[in-house]
Amino acid sequence: MSKDETTHNPESKTGPTRRQFLGTAGAVAGAAAVGVSPNKAEAAKRDPKRGGTVRFATRADSRGLDQHRNYYYYVSHPLAATSMGLMDLNLKMEPVPGIAVGSEVSKDNKTYTFSLRKGATYHDGADVDAASVKWNFERILDPKIGHPFVRAAIKDFDKMEVVDKWTIRCHLKNPSAVLIPNVTYYPMQLMSPASVANADNHPIGCGPFKFKSWKKFDSTVMERFENWYETDAQGNALPYLDAIVGRPKKEDRVRLTALRTGEVDLIDNMSYADATGFEKKYGDKYNTWDVPQVGTGYIGFNMKNGPMSPKNPHGKLLRQAAAHAINHEAVHQAIFNGLSSSAPAFYSKVSPWHMPEVKRPYEFDPDKARFLIKKAGAVGEAIILTSRDAYAYMHQTGEIVHAMLSEVGLKVQHEIHPYSVLKQKWQKGEFHLDSTANSYRPDPDAWYGRNVYSKSATTKLRTGYVNEKADKLILEAQQTLDKAKRLELYQAVELMVNEEVPMLYTHYIPLLEAGVKSLKGYSPAFAGPYSTQGAGLRASWMS
Amino acid sequence: MLIYAINRILQMIPVLFVLTVVVFTFVQLLPGDVIDTLIGDEQAEDPELRKALEEEYGLDKPIYMQYGIWLGKALQGDFGKSLITRRPISVELFESIPATVYLGLVGIGLSIIIAVPLGSIAAVKRNSATDYAAQVTSLIGISIPEFWFAIMAVLVFSLHLGWLPSSGYVSPFEDLGQSLYYLILPALAVGFRQAAYTTRLTRSSMLDEMNKEYVDTARSLGFSEPKVIYKYTLRNALIPTITISGLQLANLLGGTVVLETIFAWPGIGQAIYLAIIDHDYPLIQAGILVLGIIVVCVNLLVDLLYRVLNPRVALN
Repeated sequence: MSKDETTHNPESKTGPTRRQFLGTAGAVAGAAAVGVSPNKAEAAKRDPKRGGTVRFATRADSRGLDQHRNYYYYVSHPLAATSMGLMDLNLKMEPVPGIAVGSEVSKDNKTYTFSLRKGATYHDGADVDAASVKWNFERILDPKIGHPFVRAAIKDFDKMEVVDKWTIRCHLKNPSAVLIPNVTYYPMQLMSPASVANADNHPIGCGPFKFKSWKKFDSTVMERFENWYETDAQGNALPYLDAIVGRPKKEDRVRLTALRTGEVDLIDNMSYADATGFEKKYGDKYNTWDVPQVGTGYIGFNMKNGPMSPKNPHGKLLRQAAAHAINHEAVHQAIFNGLSSSAPAFYSKVSPWHMPEVKRPYEFDPDKARFLIKKAGAVGEAIILTSRDAYAYMHQTGEIVHAMLSEVGLKVQHEIHPYSVLKQKWQKGEFHLDSTANSYRPDPDAWYGRNVYSKSATTKLRTGYVNEKADKLILEAQQTLDKAKRLELYQAVELMVNEEVPMLYTHYIPLLEAGVKSLKGYSPAFAGPYSTQGAGLRASWMS
Repeated sequence: MLIYAINRILQMIPVLFVLTVVVFTFVQLLPGDVIDTLIGDEQAEDPELRKALEEEYGLDKPIYMQYGIWLGKALQGDFGKSLITRRPISVELFESIPATVYLGLVGIGLSIIIAVPLGSIAAVKRNSATDYAAQVTSLIGISIPEFWFAIMAVLVFSLHLGWLPSSGYVSPFEDLGQSLYYLILPALAVGFRQAAYTTRLTRSSMLDEMNKEYVDTARSLGFSEPKVIYKYTLRNALIPTITISGLQLANLLGGTVVLETIFAWPGIGQAIYLAIIDHDYPLIQAGILVLGIIVVCVNLLVDLLYRVLNPRVALN
C-alpha cells in the first residue's frame, strides 16, 4: 500500500507513555545525544561505504513541497527523507529522540518540555532552536496552512513557550499521554522559518537528505545533508549515500521492469502477483523485503442511516450476516496472492500493540449469513457498497465482497469513486458498506481515537459509530501512561467493535520491496524506506 | 498567406473562448470539490475552515465571476497557482507540456517517415507481394492497441534485449543523446499505430491520384516514372495524409495518458487527469487552454502546408 485514505486521512500516531519515553530516552540518551544508531554489533559487520546514489522507483509522488501544507507520507513520498521532527521513529515504529533529545512531562500530563539537540541545523544552516520549533507549530496550527492531518496531531496545544534557545515548553488544553508520538517527523516536519517564502518551490527541512529538485511525475532529487547528526556505531556520519533519486512510476509492473532493466535500484509496492515467485526466480540478482503491515483493510458500515445502521432494528443482524458472508481466505488468495494475513483486530502480530486475545468473532459461514438475512427480513435488500479507485486492493476487495454478499441474498451495487466523491457520499450517508483501509498507526490512539471514538471528525464522517463505553475507554487510554493498561483498554474497545461490527477488519496489507544486491544495509520498517532511525536509506549504501 | 494566417489566428479567439467556457462548466459539474480534497477527513465538519478556504481560493464567488476573474488573469498570462501543489500553473505546465509535445511530434514524425514511403510503394506496386505485405502490416498496426504494443516493445527491447530503457524521460535540453535514447520506445509505440493508419491513407490517396489525367499527361510528355510518381503524384496525394497527421498529433497531445503511464512519461495527460480527480480547476483550465492553442496552431500549420504542397489551393 502506498498511502491510503491514509492519503487524506493519515492520522497521527501516539507512542510510548511518559515512562516508556523517558525510559527509551534514558537508554538511548547517550547515543541519541550524539545521534548514534543502535545495533552496534551488526553495524560493525557491515563495512559500509560512503557514497553512491540510489534510484528509487515509487508508486506515488509527492503532492506538493510545503511540509506543513502537504505532509510527506513516510512510506511513499520521496521527500520524507528531507524532514525530521522533534521525535524520530525506530524499526519498531517506537518514538525515539530526534531533534529533541529529552523531554519532561508534568504530573497532570498537560505540560511537555522538550530539550533540543544542540548543533542540529536546517539545511540552510540555521539552528533548529526553540524559537524555530515554536514558529513551526504555530504555522501548522494555522487552519489555512497546516494540513488537517498534521494540525490534528497538535490540536490540543494551548500555548508554546521558548524557555531558552534549546528548550521549548508546550502547554496543552487537555491532559494527554500521547503527545510524544504526535511530534515525530511524520507528520510534524520541521522546516526552516527563513524558507517559508519559497516553501512551495524549494523546501528546507532538517532531515538526513536535503532537497535538490522536484519534477512532478518525473523525479525527486535529494542529496546527503552533511550536517546530519546521526552516526553509525563506528562514529561515521550518516547517511552514507550521496543522493537519492525518487522516480515515480505509477504502475507496479513498470517499476518492476525498471528494476530488472537496471534503470532503478529499489522499488516499492511490488504487485502481490509478481512478488509470489520473484524471490525464487530472481533471488540471485535482487533482494526482496516485506514490510509486514503497512496498513489494515476493513469494511466500514454506515451506522448513521440505512438498513445496516442501528436505526434499523435488524441492522446488527445484517452486519453480522455480512461478516459471516465474507470469505477472508478468498480475499487473501485472490487479492493478496496469499501474502497478507487475516485481521481480527487493527494490529497484527508484528506490532507491539497486537492483541492476541481478540479473535475473529464471525467466521465464514454463508448459510448462517443467509439465515440472518432471512431473519432480518432483508432478502433482496438493496445495498450500496463503495470503494476507492486509487488503491487496487480496495476496489478488488470490494468486488469480491460484492459477489459474496450477492451470493447470500443481498442486492448489492458496487460503486468505485475517487476520494472527493466518496467523501460526499459518506457525508450524505449514501452508502451502506465501504471497502477501505487505513495505514499503520504507531500508537493506537491514532486509530481508535480517530476512527472509533464517536466524537472524532473521521468517525462522524465515515461510519458514524457511537458507543459511549468505547468512547470512555478511548478517552481513558489517551490519558493513561502505562502501556499494559492502555493495551487492555484498547483491547476492550476492539472486542466491542468486533461484537457490534461497525467495521469489519479484513486483512493486514503487506508492502513488498525489491532492490539490487549492491544496495547494502537496507532494512525497511513500517515507516517505509526513507526515514527510520538507523535503517532504511538513512543507513544503507551502494557497494 | 500572411493575411490568411492572421485571419486564422483571429478565428482562434472565439474557438478558445468557447473551449474555456465549456471546460469551466464541466469542471463545475464534476461531483466532489477541491475543498473536500484539501481538508480531508479531519476538518470535514468545520464550516468556518471551508468558508475560509473558499474565500482564499475565490470559490465563494458566483461561478460566472470565478470564470471572469480567471479569464481576466489568463489574458494577462497569469494562470494562477495550482490549488494542490500551490506552485504557479506556468511551472506545472512548463514541466509537462513539452514532454507531451516532444513525444507527439517525434511519434507523428516517425509515423510519416514509415508510412509515406510504404504507402507510396504499395500503391505503385499495387497487387504485388510488397503491396500485400504493406497492407497486412498496416492492418496489424491498426488492430493492435497502442498499450499492448508498448508493453511488448518494453518486453522485447528493454527486458530481453536490453537495448533501450523501459521507462523514464530526459529533456532534450538537458542531454539530447540521452533524451533520444529514452524517447525511442515511446515514440515507436505512438508512431507504429499512427503509421498504420497513414500507410493505408497514403496508399489509397496515391491510387486515386495515379488514376487522374495529369499523371497520364506527364507520362505522355516523357517524364520519368520516378518523377511522375514522386514529384507530381505523391505531392498531391500527401494532402489528406498531412491533414490526418495533423489531426493525429492534436489527438495525441491530450490522449497519451496510457502511454505516459506505461513509460512513466511526465506528460500533460497525467497532469490533467490528476487535476480532474483533484478538482484543481486552474490547472485543468490552463492545461486545456494551452493544449487548445497548440491544436489550433497545428491545424493552421496544416492548412499552410496545403499551400506549399499544392500552390493551386486558395487560402482565402
